[in-house]
Amino acid sequence: MKTSLRVWLLPVALSVMIVAAGCLGGSKGGRSRGTSTPGGPTPTAQSGARPQPALTPAPGAAKLATSGGTFTRLWADPPTLDPHLTSDTTSAGLVVEIFSGLVALDTDLRIIPDIAERWDVSGGGAIFTFRLRDGVKFQDGKAVKASDLKYSFERALDPRTESPVADTYLNDIVGAQDKLKGLVREVRGVRVIDERTLEITIDAPKPYFIAKLTYPTAYVVDRQNVESGPGWSNKPNATGPFKLLEWVPGQRLILARNEHFYRGVAKLDRVHYILSGGVPMTMYENNEVDFTGVGQAELDRVLNPTEALNKELVRGDPAFDVSYIGFHVDKPPFDDRKVRQAFTLAIDKETIAREVLSSLAVPAYGVLPPGFPGHNPSIRGLRFDPVQAKKLLAESKYGGPGKLPRIIMTVPGTGGTVGLDTEVILEMWKQNLGVTVEIQQTEWATFLQDLNRQRFQMFGGLGWSADYPDPQDFVDILFHSKSFNNHGAYKNLEVDRQIELARTEQDSDRRIKLYQDAEQAVVEDAAWIPLWYTGERFVLIKPYIKGYKLTRLIVPKLKDISIERP
Amino acid sequence: MTAYVVRRLLWLPVLLVIVIFITFALGTYGPGDPVEVRLGTKSNPEAVARLRQQMGLDRPFVVQFADYVGGVVRGDFGDSYRYQGRTVLELILPRMWVSAQLNLVALTLVVVIGIPLGMAAARFQGRWLDPAIVTGIVFISSLPVLITGPLFLLVFVVILKLVPSAGWGGLFDTRIIIPAVAIAVPGLAVIVRVMRTSTLEVLSQDYVRTAYAKGLTPGIISRRHVARNAFLPVLTMLGFSIAGLIGGTIIGETIFGIPGIGRLAFESIFNRDYPVIMGITIIGAATFVLANLMIDVAYTFLDPRIRY
Repeated sequence: MKTSLRVWLLPVALSVMIVAAGCLGGSKGGRSRGTSTPGGPTPTAQSGARPQPALTPAPGAAKLATSGGTFTRLWADPPTLDPHLTSDTTSAGLVVEIFSGLVALDTDLRIIPDIAERWDVSGGGAIFTFRLRDGVKFQDGKAVKASDLKYSFERALDPRTESPVADTYLNDIVGAQDKLKGLVREVRGVRVIDERTLEITIDAPKPYFIAKLTYPTAYVVDRQNVESGPGWSNKPNATGPFKLLEWVPGQRLILARNEHFYRGVAKLDRVHYILSGGVPMTMYENNEVDFTGVGQAELDRVLNPTEALNKELVRGDPAFDVSYIGFHVDKPPFDDRKVRQAFTLAIDKETIAREVLSSLAVPAYGVLPPGFPGHNPSIRGLRFDPVQAKKLLAESKYGGPGKLPRIIMTVPGTGGTVGLDTEVILEMWKQNLGVTVEIQQTEWATFLQDLNRQRFQMFGGLGWSADYPDPQDFVDILFHSKSFNNHGAYKNLEVDRQIELARTEQDSDRRIKLYQDAEQAVVEDAAWIPLWYTGERFVLIKPYIKGYKLTRLIVPKLKDISIERP
Repeated sequence: MTAYVVRRLLWLPVLLVIVIFITFALGTYGPGDPVEVRLGTKSNPEAVARLRQQMGLDRPFVVQFADYVGGVVRGDFGDSYRYQGRTVLELILPRMWVSAQLNLVALTLVVVIGIPLGMAAARFQGRWLDPAIVTGIVFISSLPVLITGPLFLLVFVVILKLVPSAGWGGLFDTRIIIPAVAIAVPGLAVIVRVMRTSTLEVLSQDYVRTAYAKGLTPGIISRRHVARNAFLPVLTMLGFSIAGLIGGTIIGETIFGIPGIGRLAFESIFNRDYPVIMGITIIGAATFVLANLMIDVAYTFLDPRIRY
């Protein structure tokens, strides 16, 4: 799913843990983004964004000796282990270790051959011919053939599978739309040439198509396994580096090394995911887990060089996402562009990032996150300017703070608190504009229903992270006037026109330019207040765990971890 | 007696249907939609409509309700919306069992510590020990799990390193100790006070004076005449506790990493996982009715004057 629920929305359970850990000398804190959040319900989790990766295939890993041992960490119960239904990080983090597909991303986010050993591109960039690796087997020893991949693509696109993401990842394949609508049995664009050769034809030359195939929607499944019944994915027969050994919901999920894995078997014997929760920092310090995210509350302690834990601190690049406050542009007072601009200009994001968020977040002035294709470092954003803010509010059709209607900002969550950063924003509006904004908090399901119906005057607590490395995924989906995900009813005909041109523009520079122009217009119209891009991530990893890499996206990475105890 | 029990049991299905109806109606007409929650913000109206049809949620309320009740009668509580491919019973029964074990240990602690303390307080009425016991227990019991949980973790796990901080290993695992004590503590005050009051009342009865007059030792009087009679009001309270055995404790489970029913129930509400919510509600209601029936029957053994 696309929207990331911010940590401050996590319900009471997590708040309790925070309070609890607070008593333990400031242990578990609030904002451990990008890591899983065991203990709190995760109604939606962000799916991994996909960057524009280098298209040169990196060599596969050589076969390595096994080190054995068990890597233990906290996790949450995954909603599904069916790769074709996977749309959240909790599921994807496990699915990429159990299943695999034609291509994968390595820990440096390059595209590498996986089940395919190589592929040729022909037809002007629209035909991909994959040559399968010799000796690829499912866990039960059965060989993987090109027909298994064809079956898997067709199963993912079958409307009865109800994949929430097949449309996103596989829609470029010729015939995919007909299959999704249930009009045809076969997908024309996927052809078996021989047992080890598969040909995929897409509707237009799209260089980013191959990157989409790294997502679990394109993974191979075993037909017999799938047809064994509705609970099949709880006993998967798959091709990834690990196999599911045991899953007791709410207690533990254990992966064991898949001895048949074709790219060099994993070093670890087992990976133990604790699903039952606990106080992460306490568990880490008590040697019950080998890995934990570090939240804001314990960050100062862990960053202190005299603290023993400081030596186990690992820093990682942020995930690709942006959080924002949305306006409904037809509801007063936000039907006046000047009011929206004034609200944006009145927030001092730099100060909040530094003082409140301990620099775990980077102020956002545009929509596309840093490092993402199309990110525009020179975007002319609406930066903090309280004088101009007040002036714009006075120039608006409302004439000043006194004549504005009642303003309610709705945020999802149940904790009763909205997070210090939101509170500071409310205070800044009060001080810099003289406007009091009320907060209304509703729990996630209710929030989502009202969001989908565009009922909010103003809404916060939301973030957006991409599913694939293309600005279309942000700009088109969020701001085209006909997009269902344009929750604030933003409408700018010029932006619509640029977005529509970009959809079919073949020149990638011109295409990026179109998106950047649209993004600039969106920013100037103040359709949103972009708030933060995720900042650096901090985790603790036990020193005897070797080879764990923090990645900006969910990629298979447990295979290369080893345990070296002194 | 048998007729009484049968009559009470016959009411059970009626009560359950009412419970199902109310829960079902709340789920159907309350805010939030399981289909939209499952699809997240990524949804579009067509996908919502398709999935709603697939899940059978587009049918009229009466049809869905009848279908569900029919399933329950056959022992089929349906499948979870959130955990795909898992039946409700498969999800909730193991967790209820975990909660039951933990709560049983906690309840045993409450009874074993609370009853003697309550009797002692009554016996020492008018001396310093009575207010000392009562005040001490009220103070300790005023500490919620939110306070005692982390405190115990700090002392026994971080400083003394006696037990692991989180997890579940069953009834005979050391990890059960801290959560059981933390859960037991708030219940102590109530039982001590009820036991003290009812002991005082029994001590002033004629038959106790008679027993002393007969020359019985205080120990025998205490056990045979006082404890047994003073226990009746406590038994009523225990009835509710037994019904609560399969209920979870969200906070305790979260802090101590226990895979009990509390967190699942809590999460299911936010995920609008109605089949799971229904399952927990129905089993909880049935247990409540049955536990109270058990207690009513138990009265007749403790107090021969009570007959049905």
